[in-house]
Amino acid sequence: MKSNWGDYMSLRYEYTVETEDLAKYYKLGSFVVKALDGINLKIRRGEYVSIMGPSGSGKTTLFNMIGGLDRPTRGKVYIDEVDISKLDAYELAWLRARKIGYIFQTFNLIPVLTALENVMLPMIFAGVRREERIRKARELLTLVGLGDRLHHKPAELSGGQQQRVAIARALANDPAIVLADEPTANLDLHTGLEIINLLRKMNKERGVTIVTATHDLKMIDVSDRIIYLRDGRVERIETRAEVAVEAEME
Amino acid sequence: MSNQKEEKVIRKSTWDVGEVSFPLGEAFRISIENIKKRFARAAITSASVMLGIAFLVSLLLMASFQTVSGQTSGTEPYMYWLLFISLLVCGVGITNSMLIAVAERYKEIGTYKTLGALDRHVLELFLLEAIVIGTIGGLVGYFGGLIAAMIYAATNSSIGIGKAVTALGLPNPTIPLVGMLPSAVALFILGIGLAIILSLAATIYPAYYAAKLNPAEALRYEI
Ligand SMILES: Nc1ncnc2c1ncn2[C@@H]1O[C@H](COP(=O)(O)OP(=O)(O)O)[C@@H](O)[C@H]1O
Ligand SMILES: [Mg+2]
Repeated sequence: MKSNWGDYMSLRYEYTVETEDLAKYYKLGSFVVKALDGINLKIRRGEYVSIMGPSGSGKTTLFNMIGGLDRPTRGKVYIDEVDISKLDAYELAWLRARKIGYIFQTFNLIPVLTALENVMLPMIFAGVRREERIRKARELLTLVGLGDRLHHKPAELSGGQQQRVAIARALANDPAIVLADEPTANLDLHTGLEIINLLRKMNKERGVTIVTATHDLKMIDVSDRIIYLRDGRVERIETRAEVAVEAEME
Repeated sequence: MSNQKEEKVIRKSTWDVGEVSFPLGEAFRISIENIKKRFARAAITSASVMLGIAFLVSLLLMASFQTVSGQTSGTEPYMYWLLFISLLVCGVGITNSMLIAVAERYKEIGTYKTLGALDRHVLELFLLEAIVIGTIGGLVGYFGGLIAAMIYAATNSSIGIGKAVTALGLPNPTIPLVGMLPSAVALFILGIGLAIILSLAATIYPAYYAAKLNPAEALRYEI
């Protein structure tokens, strides 16, 4: 039996992510920074959503809340219809290992581990058997075009290759959602485009929900929806159809 | 509306939260890789343990040698003070270098947590590192202390190598805890044991701090 339980369960949920009046305030002395201020979002299973917004608009903070990495000041986050504020530390760790894949601007690979070991790491935490871990990690690295770099350490890989490893790692436990925080910001134009296309391919072929934060306009073409964030609030939301129409009218 | 919300909370049971694990073998392997990567600093930390243990072993051995050659009645109380202070100094040194090791790995710790690591898994990584560093420091320190004591015996006309070797095979009751064993063995056990305890004790605070880091905060650090 293929224990691909994440997929199986996700089939029953229409929305992978929902937020209700989500807010996060930071206190800096007597001054309050409203990093997020009342965000209501519904993200469908299998959607590719881009969060656009200038630096400081709250993209990373939103990711931390959706990804179970920090607690909101107010409001709720539901992942596959579960209110994650109700989870204890153990359940949160399980959520991070199994339900969510993370991709960062700075790649964040573990420097002492090879590409293969980096991809295997989340499977170790998820309790996957060793042979299965190796098989799956090889398969994923081949899928992202690094089948010949399995035993290279991050320092021996280019930025684009490191980000491919990170994508393979994010997919290791077949998460319901992949959160990518400015995944192309540290890459050149061409490599950035390759990474965007790879993410889109994973979204199409594997059906994984992808949410990327970005101010990279290349991302607009591949997104099903674009959510514009400003000062911690949703400024507007565009769906792909509208974007296409706008482009035609120009 | 409120009905719908309740439903969502109840659904948690359908998630069927499974296992989160980090086998000791994997943690150990990663710790060794971490030590290799930061070899220079691990060596300096280890050297600090080594010096402390070498001091302990040589001081207690010299006392044994003097007893065998009838010079003194063995370990004097002031020596224990000296040993205590030297190990304390050594512990502060290790704590300092472990705090640095944690600070430069904030982001990595945050990454481990995003992959599913529990607090205790992060703790485990740092404590295993401390055990390895302590063991190496203890081993080298023991032999260093032994050699220093033998040089002392060889250059001291009233002791000599012969009496020193005899003393190594005899128990020295003034050695704490394991005084009934032959001195050479007793100091080996005491030296390595203290080295590991010292290294662990000095690492607990930095490691606990690392483990408790909130992942969002940890990931914010740019180094
Ligand atoms: N830990 C924190 N402490 C204080 N202020 C923070 C913290 N994290 C984020 N902020 C502030 O919240 C706002 C949103 O930040 P962020 O979510 O990182 O934006 P973005 O990712 O869109 O650049 C910024 O004004 C930032 O300075
Ligand atoms: Mg950001």
